[in-house]
Amino acid sequence: MKRRNRLVLGTALCFLLPNFLGFLVFTLFPVLFSLGAAFTNWNLMKTVSFQWVGIGNFAKLFSDHDFWLYFINTIYFMLGMPVAIAASLFLAILLSQRLRGMVAYRTLFYLPSFTSGVALLILWKALYNPNFGPINVIIESVLQWLHLGHIEPPTWLSSTKNLLALSAERVDIVASQFGLGARDAIIIMGIWTAAGGGNMLLYLAGISNIPPELYEAASIDGAGRWAQFRHVTWPQLAPTTFFIVIMSVIGGLQGGFEQARVMTLGGPAGTTTTLSYYIYTKAFEEFQIGYASAVAWVLFTIVFAITLVNWRFGSRYVNE
Amino acid sequence: MSTNKPRTLSEWWFRTGRFAVSHAFLAVVALTMLLPFLWMVFASFKPLNEIQQFNLNPLPVNWQPSNYTDVLNNKDISFKRYYFNSVFVAAWVTLLTCFTSSLAAFAFARLRWPGRDHVFKLYLATMMIPGVVTMIPNYTLMVKMHLLDSYIGLIVPAAFSAFGTFLLRQFMLTIPPSLDEAATIDGASAWQVYWDVILPLARPGLIVLSIFTFMGNYGSFFWPLVLIKSEHLRTLPIGMLYFDTVYGRQTNLIMAASVMNILPLVILFILMQKYLVQGIQLGAVKG
Amino acid sequence: MKYVFLGSFIVMTLLSVAAWMWRPGGRDDDRVEIVWVCDDNPVRREQIDLFNRLNPQYHLRLDPQNMGMEKTIVQCLAGVGPDIFDCYSGFQLTAFVRSGIAYDCTEAFQARGIDIFKVWPCLLPLVRYEERVYGHPGNGGGPALWFNKAIFDAAGEPYPKSDWTWREFLPIAKRLTKFDSRGRPIQFGLMMGTWDWIGVFLGQWNATIYTPEGTRCVLDSPEACAAAQFYQDLIHTHHVLPSPTEELAMATAGGWGSGTISLFGAGRGAMAVGGRWWLCMLRGKDYAHLRLGAVEIPAGPSRRLFGYGRASLINAKSPNRDGALAFLEYLHGPDWNNLINRQADALAPVMAYNYTDDFLHNPEHPEEDYNAVWRAALEDAVPFEVSPYVNGQFVDRVFLKQGDFLRERIKTGAEAMRDAARAINEAIVEQIRGDPELKDRYFQALAAGARPAWDRPEDAP
Repeated sequence: MKRRNRLVLGTALCFLLPNFLGFLVFTLFPVLFSLGAAFTNWNLMKTVSFQWVGIGNFAKLFSDHDFWLYFINTIYFMLGMPVAIAASLFLAILLSQRLRGMVAYRTLFYLPSFTSGVALLILWKALYNPNFGPINVIIESVLQWLHLGHIEPPTWLSSTKNLLALSAERVDIVASQFGLGARDAIIIMGIWTAAGGGNMLLYLAGISNIPPELYEAASIDGAGRWAQFRHVTWPQLAPTTFFIVIMSVIGGLQGGFEQARVMTLGGPAGTTTTLSYYIYTKAFEEFQIGYASAVAWVLFTIVFAITLVNWRFGSRYVNE
Repeated sequence: MSTNKPRTLSEWWFRTGRFAVSHAFLAVVALTMLLPFLWMVFASFKPLNEIQQFNLNPLPVNWQPSNYTDVLNNKDISFKRYYFNSVFVAAWVTLLTCFTSSLAAFAFARLRWPGRDHVFKLYLATMMIPGVVTMIPNYTLMVKMHLLDSYIGLIVPAAFSAFGTFLLRQFMLTIPPSLDEAATIDGASAWQVYWDVILPLARPGLIVLSIFTFMGNYGSFFWPLVLIKSEHLRTLPIGMLYFDTVYGRQTNLIMAASVMNILPLVILFILMQKYLVQGIQLGAVKG
Repeated sequence: MKYVFLGSFIVMTLLSVAAWMWRPGGRDDDRVEIVWVCDDNPVRREQIDLFNRLNPQYHLRLDPQNMGMEKTIVQCLAGVGPDIFDCYSGFQLTAFVRSGIAYDCTEAFQARGIDIFKVWPCLLPLVRYEERVYGHPGNGGGPALWFNKAIFDAAGEPYPKSDWTWREFLPIAKRLTKFDSRGRPIQFGLMMGTWDWIGVFLGQWNATIYTPEGTRCVLDSPEACAAAQFYQDLIHTHHVLPSPTEELAMATAGGWGSGTISLFGAGRGAMAVGGRWWLCMLRGKDYAHLRLGAVEIPAGPSRRLFGYGRASLINAKSPNRDGALAFLEYLHGPDWNNLINRQADALAPVMAYNYTDDFLHNPEHPEEDYNAVWRAALEDAVPFEVSPYVNGQFVDRVFLKQGDFLRERIKTGAEAMRDAARAINEAIVEQIRGDPELKDRYFQALAAGARPAWDRPEDAP
C-alpha cells in the first residue's frame, strides 16, 4: 500500500515538476514578497525611511476614504458579470446547433476581444460620442419614436452619473446622480467584449464534451428543451461554469485597469478608478508600494473568500 | 443536439423556424460585434483630416493605403521586427504554457497524491493577487538571473501560469474516468494514459488555452516596457508608442498599426477554430 | 495531437534560430553607447542624430517610454537604469534625488563651464534642488493663445491684440462660438486642455498653491477660488469653452490631452490655449491648410503664468557618465538650442538663444511670425510650485479630480478649491506623520513662523 502511494507521488511529481518549479520561482516568490511588503512602509523612491509597520497599512486602509470609493467602483463594475456570462452561455448554445456559418459567427463574436489599447479607446470614444455616436443616435431615435423626445440621451463618458446614483465624492447615494455615465459605458463595453469572447469558447468546448446519449436519454424520457437544458446541459457544464465564475470574479475584482489607464485616467472625478488602478497609482505615482501591496492583499482576501464560497457551493455539482 | 428526422410537416416548420430565428439573432449580434471593427478598418485607410472631420461616414473619401506603408516602412521604428518579436514571444509562451500546464493539470485531475487539493488551492490563490505589486520582485529576479533585455526574460516568467493549469484541470475533469480505467487495465503507464488518452480528448481545452494565452501575451505592455532596452527586442505595443505621444496622436497611423497588430490574432483564431470544430465532432462520437 | 505538439516545438526552435541570427551585430566601431529614456516621436530622432554627428565617439540611443515614471523607477531601482532619463516636474526631481537615482552634476558642470542660471528661471526647479544641480533642461515653454486666422476672417473679426484682457476677450469669443439648429456645438471661441487652467488662471489670479515654505496648501485662498470660478464660468456661464461633454461631442478621435490639438487643428476652435510645441503636429502635411496666429493670453489680474518643460537627468549608477555629461553639455550648446527653436519643440532652454533673429524668423517657416509671443509667455512664467512635504503626483490627481468637478459643474470654484486644499493638507499631515526626518524639518519650519497644514491642534501629527 505504502509502496503504491510512493509510486503515485513520484509519478505525480514528475508531471507536476516543470510547471511547479516555474510557479515557485515566478509566481509564488513574488507573491510572498509582496505579502512581506504589505507590512512595511516601503516607499519605492526611498524618500521615506524603511520601517516595519505591522498592520499599520491595513488600519490606514480601512479609514482611507478613497479606498472605499474605489472599492464600490470595483463592485459596481462587476454588476455586468452575470449578464456577460449568461450571454456567453446563450451564444454558445446557439452556436452549437448545426447551423451553417459557425466558423464565421465564432470569429465575428470573438473580434471585440482582439482590439485593445489605444485603438479601443478611440473606437469607444467615437461610439459613445454624445451627439453623433451610434449609441446615442439609436437612443435618440427610440426616444423620438416613443414621443419622449424631450429627454436628453445620456452623456456617457463625461458623466459621473450611474444607475445606482452613487456620488462621486463620498460613499453615498445622491438622487441627482441617477443616470447613465462613464461607469455604465464601461460596463456595457465589458459585456460587449466578453459576451462572444473567451467564456463563449469555453462553453462551446464544454458543450462539445457532453455525450449526445445523455440528450437522447432525456428526450426519450419525454424532457422538453428547457428541461434538457436544466438536467443535462447545465449540470454537465458545471466544471466549466465553476471555472468561468471564479475567473470572472478574479478578473472583475482585479479589472478596470486597462480602461482606466488608457481611456479615462480613472475619471471623470475618479468614478472609473477601480482598486487595481488605485494600487497602480499608489505604487508608481505615489511610490507607496508597501501600502499598495496591503491594498492588493485585501483584494486578495476578498477574492479568496468568494472563491472558497464558490468552491464549497460548486463542489456539490462537480464530481471529483 | 437533437438529430431525429422531422416526422411531420409542423415539426419541419418548427425546426426551420427555430433555425431562422437563431440565424437572425446571431446575425444581429454578429453585426454589432463587427461594425466597430469595420469602422476601425475603414479609419485605417483615411487621411488624418478625414478622421478629424466629424461625420460618422465610415467609408473614406480619399483612400490612403499609404498609411500602412508609412507604418511598415517608417525609418524611425522597425515595425516588421516588432511584429516578428510579438508573434515569436507569444508563440513560445503559448507552447510552453500548454505543455507544462497540461502536465500539471493531469497531475491535479487524474492522480491522487497527498496534499493535492491544498497545492491546487495555492495555485488558485496566487492568481488573485493583482499583477502590479508582483512586478517589482519579478523584475529584480530577472536582473539577478541576467535575463534582462532578452527573449528568455520575456518568455519564461509568462510561461508558467496557474491559469493554464486551472483551465485544463477543469477540462480534464469532464473526461469520463472510465477511459482511464480501461487504459490502465490494458497495462498503460501514467504517461501513456496522459499522452494517448487524455491529451487528445482535452484538445478543445488546449485550443482555448492557446487562444487565451497567445492573445494575453501578445498585448502585454508593462512587462516588455520595463524589461526590454534594446531596439531589436521591442514588441508591438511598445513600438506603437511612437504614434501616440504628447505631441499628438496620429490616429490614422494608429489605426493602420492596430489593424496589422490584430491580424495574427485573427488568423490564429480562424486556424484554431477548425480544430475546435473537430473537437466538437469528436466529442459527439465518443463511445 | 501529439504531432501538433512536436511539430510546433520544431517550428518554434527553427524560428528561434532565425531570431538569433537576425540579431543586429555588435557595433563594429568603438563608440560608447549611451541610452536615453524619453518619449519617442519624430523630433526626438532628429535631436539624437545631431548629437551623434557632433560626438562621433558616442552613440546615443533612445529607449522609449510613455509619460509615466514606471520604467525609469523600476530599472533604476534594480540597478540597470538608462544613462539619461527625463524629468517633467520639480516633484519628480526631488523624488529622483532623494532616492539616490539622480547624479549630482554641480561640480561637473562647473568643470565644463555650464552655467545653469542661463536657462529660463521657470525651468530651474526641474534641475536644481537644494542648491545642487542634477541635469539640464531640454526645452521650456509657457502657454499662449493660438488662433485660427481662417475662422476670424470668415467672421469678419480683427485678429486679437497683445495687450487685451479677459473682459475684451469675452465678446469676441462669444461671437466665434457657434451651435447648429439642434443646439449642438460646431465651433467654440476657446479651447483648453485638461491641465491648462492651472497654469493660466491660478497663475494670473496670483494664487499660490502652497505657503512659501510649502507647509500648507492654500488653494482655499480667495484668489484661487476666484480663478477656479472664472474657469467654470467660461464653460457654463459664458459658454465660450466647451464642457467635457461638448468636447467629446466634437471629437471623433484623439484622446485626452492631445485632443485639444486635434480639435483645434480640425477647425473646431477659433482660439486655443497651447504651447509652441503644438507646431510639431501642426506643421505636418495634414494641417497644411491651417493659417495660424498666436497672441498672448488675455490678461487677468496679472500676466503671471506657470511654465513647464522637460529636463534630462543623469543616472548616478551609469557607467557612461562622461557620455551622459557630454549630452548635457550638448543641451547647453548652440546646436541643440537652435535645433529646438527650429523644430518648434517648445523653446530652447538657454535664454540667450531665444533672443536671436534666427529664433524670430525661421526661413523654412516664414508664416510663423509670432515667435515673440512664445518668448513673452516664457518671460511671464514662474515655476510650478513644489512642496517637500507632499507627493506632487498626488497633488496632480487632486487637481484632475477637482477639475472634473469644476468642468461638470458639480461644485463651484470655491467648493472645489476648498476640497482640494483639504485633501492636500491631509496628505501633508499623513506624509510627515510617517517620516520622522521630514517631521523634524516641518516643525523647524513651523517654529520659524510657517503656517501648519492643520487648523485644530488635535489634528497635528
